[in-house]
Amino acid sequence: MSTDTRNVQPLRVEGVTVRFGGIVAVNDVSFTVQPRTIHALIGPNGAGKSSCFNAITGIYTPASGQVRLGETVLTGTPPHKIARQGIGRAFQNLALIGTSSVLDNVMLGRYSLTKGQFMAYGMRLPWTMRQERAHQDRAAEICDYMGLSHRLHTPAGALSYGEQKRVDLARALCVEPTVLMLDEPAAGMNSSETAMMAALIHDLRDDLGISVLLVEHDMSLVMGIADRITVLDFGRRIADDVPAVIQRDPEVIKAYLGGAPDESGESAEAAAISSEETSA
Amino acid sequence: MSDTEIANPPATPETTGTTPVTARRSTAARVAPLIGWAVLLLVLFLTPVYVPGEWLSVLCWIMAGGVAAMGLTMLIGQAGQFSLGQAFFLLLGGVTYTVLAADGDAEYIGFGLPPLVALIGTIIISGLAGAAFAPISGRLRGIYLGVASLSLVFLGYYLSHELPMLAGSASSGRYAPTFSVPGFDFGETNPQLLLLNVPMGAAERQFWLFAGLTVIAYLVGQGAMKGRVGRGWRAVRDNEAVATVMGVSVPGEKAKAFAISSAYGGLAGVMVVWWYSGLMKPDEAVELGTYSTYTTIALLAMCVIGGLGSLGGAIAGSALVFGLPLALPLLTGSNQTVDASGTAFTPIVITNLVFGILIVLIVLFEPRGLAGLGTRLRNLIRR
Repeated sequence: MSTDTRNVQPLRVEGVTVRFGGIVAVNDVSFTVQPRTIHALIGPNGAGKSSCFNAITGIYTPASGQVRLGETVLTGTPPHKIARQGIGRAFQNLALIGTSSVLDNVMLGRYSLTKGQFMAYGMRLPWTMRQERAHQDRAAEICDYMGLSHRLHTPAGALSYGEQKRVDLARALCVEPTVLMLDEPAAGMNSSETAMMAALIHDLRDDLGISVLLVEHDMSLVMGIADRITVLDFGRRIADDVPAVIQRDPEVIKAYLGGAPDESGESAEAAAISSEETSA
Repeated sequence: MSDTEIANPPATPETTGTTPVTARRSTAARVAPLIGWAVLLLVLFLTPVYVPGEWLSVLCWIMAGGVAAMGLTMLIGQAGQFSLGQAFFLLLGGVTYTVLAADGDAEYIGFGLPPLVALIGTIIISGLAGAAFAPISGRLRGIYLGVASLSLVFLGYYLSHELPMLAGSASSGRYAPTFSVPGFDFGETNPQLLLLNVPMGAAERQFWLFAGLTVIAYLVGQGAMKGRVGRGWRAVRDNEAVATVMGVSVPGEKAKAFAISSAYGGLAGVMVVWWYSGLMKPDEAVELGTYSTYTTIALLAMCVIGGLGSLGGAIAGSALVFGLPLALPLLTGSNQTVDASGTAFTPIVITNLVFGILIVLIVLFEPRGLAGLGTRLRNLIRR
């Protein structure tokens, strides 16, 4: 996939608070995704990671604080205009349109980069057709990079789970993002698939020169590729540092071991953290 | 394992070759649809020569229903918004065209605009009326939106009775001019034009007009649904969060979908008035008649039978739902649509049974409707 020199700006989350009624999902959280880094957002279930993602992409309106991309304030921008600023997002739960072809799904990512309303497309005006072909070529190029070129015209619903994950990622890349947001890219994958995903994310950053912000539970992936990690617990930021420091942070270990060490998901992650720690 | 590099320089481009990425379709694959369309247009052009007038009338009625159902199927099947209000937009379209095109007199309001201007004006006004429903359609979804839009049918019934100077009285109605463009009158009753020695009278000309409008409505809808607009609508239908993050304005696209669907409804409403030879007459009851709750359900049935979201399916659905009640008497030789000599099985009853059974069968065995059957058939042939 051709590399372009994108003007990658730092994504700053500044004192963002998200409330649902009386519940504070994200409490005064700040962190900065530096250009061309892989930044991980981790924390136990319910820590506010997804709410934080939704606040950045404008799905939720923060009660206070703001999100800035370079000098542009994203908070308060109509949510559908945020993609145009260069924020691409892949989803946790495979939000593809199963009956549409892979190309059609991926082309949704070009929505904010294209123009043309009902009549322009309905009358097949020459400029809309030219635009459509040019953007389909680029979308196909991205699919090719993701190893999906032989699947372009297959309904997305007919693909395997791993392939659907890649379609989702390809769609996010079609936004031509400067910041790529990945919500649990390795969820439901086995260890070899996770390793491949980690390599892919690393390559994406290197090839495209973009920032990656990811939420992930798989500690081997996070510790392996992240340049910096922000840890959330009960909506608060409890740590923000490089992986080597995070692994030794007593508050992080406490958050993962928590008051209920028997809870399956959390203890597994805690074990993963401590094993990473011993190996480090 | 590098975890401290903050600003990596972009790596050298990893080019993946220069092959064209979208496999361009072969010339044959590109020309085949064009030939198909040319043949279809030729067939449509020659149909009035070979098909008797009463059957042309059936085909025209199917096309009027098909246009209304195309709008509805895009709204429900592509944009994911349930509506039971399409019959209201038929009424609105009919009344608007009549008011714009007919001459005013002491009893009725009319502007006497040229029919083409009135037609375009009607489509725009119907679309705007649909957009005006946006505050409601944007806040409700599913069955709640269906019930709210159903209220439009009752509203239309009430207003058409309250405003006879616009809609005509419920007992006698009022007349709108038939369509004509300078040099060609589609309502010509004393034709000089002969095609293969067959005089092209009002019925034949009406068929050309309806076929032309239906083909245009189909092509425009298909083009939009295949492109950016359709992708946005499908995203809104399946996952609003994804749609938003990808740059689709969810409230905006919902409003546009409703407006487009209503514009199709308005066009169909004009076709209905033409089909009745220009008679615009409000229903005498809200549950039975041209613009009634019955019609609104029938239009929904067309969409389900045809396969939700499929434009071709909508026309096929209309052929069953609107076509059967008119075609059955012609087939059986009886010339009555309502009463068939003492039997309880009138064409309307038979049609209701047929489309009732079809809906059940389709929901059970082929949720993609007739369009899904068509796809299966095509796949069988290709193998």
